[in-house]
Amino acid sequence: MRRLKRAAAGLMALAMIVGMSACGKTGEKEQKTDTVKTADGKEVEVKVFSAFFAVPGNEVEEGNVVQDKIAEKIGAKCEMEWLVGQTAEEAIGVMIAGGEYPDFVDASSGMKSMVDAGAFIAIDELWDNYPNIKNFYTEAEWNSIRAEDGHIYIIPQFGKTWDHDTTCVHNDEAFWIQTRVLKWAGYPKIETLDEYFDLIERYIEANPTMPDGTPNIGYEILCDDWRYFCLENAPFFLDGYPNDGCCIVDRDTHQAIDYNTTDTAKRYFKKLNEEYKKGIVDQETFTMKYDAYISKLSTGRVCGMVDQHWDFNDAELAIKADGNLDDCTYVPVGITIDKGVEEHWHANPALDVSNGVGITVSCKDPEGAMKFMNDLLDPEILTLRNWGIEGVNYNKGEDGVFTRTEEMRANANEQTYINKNLCPYAYFPNYSNGMDHDGVNGCDANHQATEFYESLNDEIKECFDAYGVKTYVEMLNAAPENEAWYPMWSYSNALTTDTPEGLVWTEMANVKHEYLPKVCIADDFDSAWNEYLTEYKNKCDVDGTLLPAFNKEIQRRIDVAAGK
Amino acid sequence: MFKDPDFGKKLKNQKALLLLSIPFVVYVLIFCYVPLFGWIMAFQKYKPNLGFTKSQFVGLDNFKFLFRNKDFMLCVRNTLMMGVINLVLGTICPIIFAILLSEFRFNMGKKFVQTVSYLPHFLSMIILTGIVFDVLSMENGTLNKLLMGIGVVDKPIQWLAEPKYFWWIVGFANRWKETGWDSIIYLAAITSINPDLYEAASIDGAGRMRRIWHITLPGLKPTILILLIMNVGNVLNVGFELQYLLGNDLVKSVAQTIDIYVLNYGIGKGNYSIGVAAGIFKSLVSIILVFIANTSAKAMGEESLY
Repeated sequence: MRRLKRAAAGLMALAMIVGMSACGKTGEKEQKTDTVKTADGKEVEVKVFSAFFAVPGNEVEEGNVVQDKIAEKIGAKCEMEWLVGQTAEEAIGVMIAGGEYPDFVDASSGMKSMVDAGAFIAIDELWDNYPNIKNFYTEAEWNSIRAEDGHIYIIPQFGKTWDHDTTCVHNDEAFWIQTRVLKWAGYPKIETLDEYFDLIERYIEANPTMPDGTPNIGYEILCDDWRYFCLENAPFFLDGYPNDGCCIVDRDTHQAIDYNTTDTAKRYFKKLNEEYKKGIVDQETFTMKYDAYISKLSTGRVCGMVDQHWDFNDAELAIKADGNLDDCTYVPVGITIDKGVEEHWHANPALDVSNGVGITVSCKDPEGAMKFMNDLLDPEILTLRNWGIEGVNYNKGEDGVFTRTEEMRANANEQTYINKNLCPYAYFPNYSNGMDHDGVNGCDANHQATEFYESLNDEIKECFDAYGVKTYVEMLNAAPENEAWYPMWSYSNALTTDTPEGLVWTEMANVKHEYLPKVCIADDFDSAWNEYLTEYKNKCDVDGTLLPAFNKEIQRRIDVAAGK
Repeated sequence: MFKDPDFGKKLKNQKALLLLSIPFVVYVLIFCYVPLFGWIMAFQKYKPNLGFTKSQFVGLDNFKFLFRNKDFMLCVRNTLMMGVINLVLGTICPIIFAILLSEFRFNMGKKFVQTVSYLPHFLSMIILTGIVFDVLSMENGTLNKLLMGIGVVDKPIQWLAEPKYFWWIVGFANRWKETGWDSIIYLAAITSINPDLYEAASIDGAGRMRRIWHITLPGLKPTILILLIMNVGNVLNVGFELQYLLGNDLVKSVAQTIDIYVLNYGIGKGNYSIGVAAGIFKSLVSIILVFIANTSAKAMGEESLY
């Protein structure tokens, strides 16, 4: 009997421990640390921060060379996690529900809910000792980042240029086409949507298969969750407007226009419908998930698509790494709906105030976290982040100009090498578009025109030579000065269902998600299009609710820019 | 039961048993009942930074929103339909499979088939969807190749783009994964049927079909009913991964389930209250379904769960 009692007491104690650990999460009080080996073999202790970025990315491997080198210099490093298999809202929603966060978070489209949940600490209360952060933006720029309560919770990482813009890669949206298609046609000038599809049709007719016999695919439309911009937002580009994301803004009247219902939109979707029926558009395109899309692109079979360059970058890296598919990489073509419309696919980097990295309330050492970000903006560390290690990832000439050998270039394109050796801390603040602080070089290899051109494979060089350009950006029109309201998507991204305009915005996405693919594959385009328009007008009060909200924001931004 | 005069005595006699059950009661309390406190969110306009105490109470507004919301009602329909398909296929297929297996003569072959049949149970859903995508693919998909090979269709069918196929794809994908596993319990029940009955029946001249009909199936009846009752309670739990992973915009109107709706609204759009309200609705319907199934089983004078 006594033994039984003891056993029962033990079980009770166990149950209580389980109960207590479930209720009272005390957590660690101390900042986590780790040791790294220095070049001369000594071990130094560094702080280890954690970060979650609600965007897809590549995990840096343990013992990453540049990461450890930076840690040795600044005494801290950061373990970064990226979005896998969820949407940003889901991942952030789970974190908020649990109330536990990594030290740094970039919530992407879940930003608003993070701020609402009180998950970030105010950076502007801490920044006096950290000049690199405080001076990262101008006073006016910081003001546009401030939350409604006047505090600054996040630092938008991108869009900051040192000196002048030196961008070589058009990292944004475009109609992309493989160089082999252009080469086959003798590098013609492609200006309109019709010419673009006509070229692909003729190419597919003449070249139905790849050299290995697998059939070529004319065109892919990615339509998976939030990535359906590849399907839905081309109409405003085709009308010659930049990527405001949620609407067209008339340059003279400053009024927002709904791009979903314009004549251009109808003609664009009609074209997709025709091409789908002709079999140029992949028949499976609307049932594909993102990973299936990337793997199709990676085979080099797909002639063209609309996409953001960062969205299919993984596929392009795979094509480059293959070795036999050099003529299958993509260049952007700046097409519009009709000849004579001035295209505006490339835009200058804009300050996107809707996204950024912040320090969370779970961080045990906010001062250390501030110092970490501050140190990452040190000129020497910036070079380490963006170029790598001198003599290993780049060579420095006598004139101070950085160059790379073939091997260095190949390494920089290979994912496994990158994961082991390079650590750009991509989602921490960075001067990502301009010059290095030395005033001689571009901020990274992709922003160094000479180095960039030399690093291209022969097929792309040939293509660029044929069009008389040196960079991807030059394939498109030079970007004019950004308008005061640009980009409007930083406003629409922050809409929530708490407001009437947010509800319309959500409903609009629902309707478009459901109907646009149907429109594209419909046997009878006109009736499908009318059905879509009827549903759209019934469910979404765009004219009465959404556009006025956009107009108000446009005017507010014009006023802010004018200093009112 | 407190009127039972022997209650005190019973309590004393079974003290050890009671003590032993405590950990499990505590487990259920902590993991099943304490979280129910969160249901309070459904009656609030819940904001994470305000918490339970300071969020504003809104009564039944969240439920009203749900029932007026067409999308949610679509989700309810889809969940129910896929649930019913799943219930019917999930009851019939394993029974037939178990009977076929038990009639198998060669022991080696039987074991082999059985093992192979329940292996898919251990695959994760993401792998299952990968297989489904491959089988149904338009280029090189097994099913399309098969159908074209035997001349049923002349061009490949886009299985996943047609709303009318979606429920059945989900149903059969589930069956492919679970039939073998689910049949184990029926196989066990069949082995416990008295072999004398079969012997007697064959002496009386009953053939194989007759023996199955008059002995095996009646012998399985209690098992079938218990499992049916339990599965009826699970009708609304038709899952989430399969629909979430196989779905796309073209079949959205038939692929969204209550669970996906809860995810989209609750976690995705940060509207926790609506998500919880939808979850409560699902639980209530499930309880009612179990209750109905149990009562009707009782009324028919058969085995019941409680």
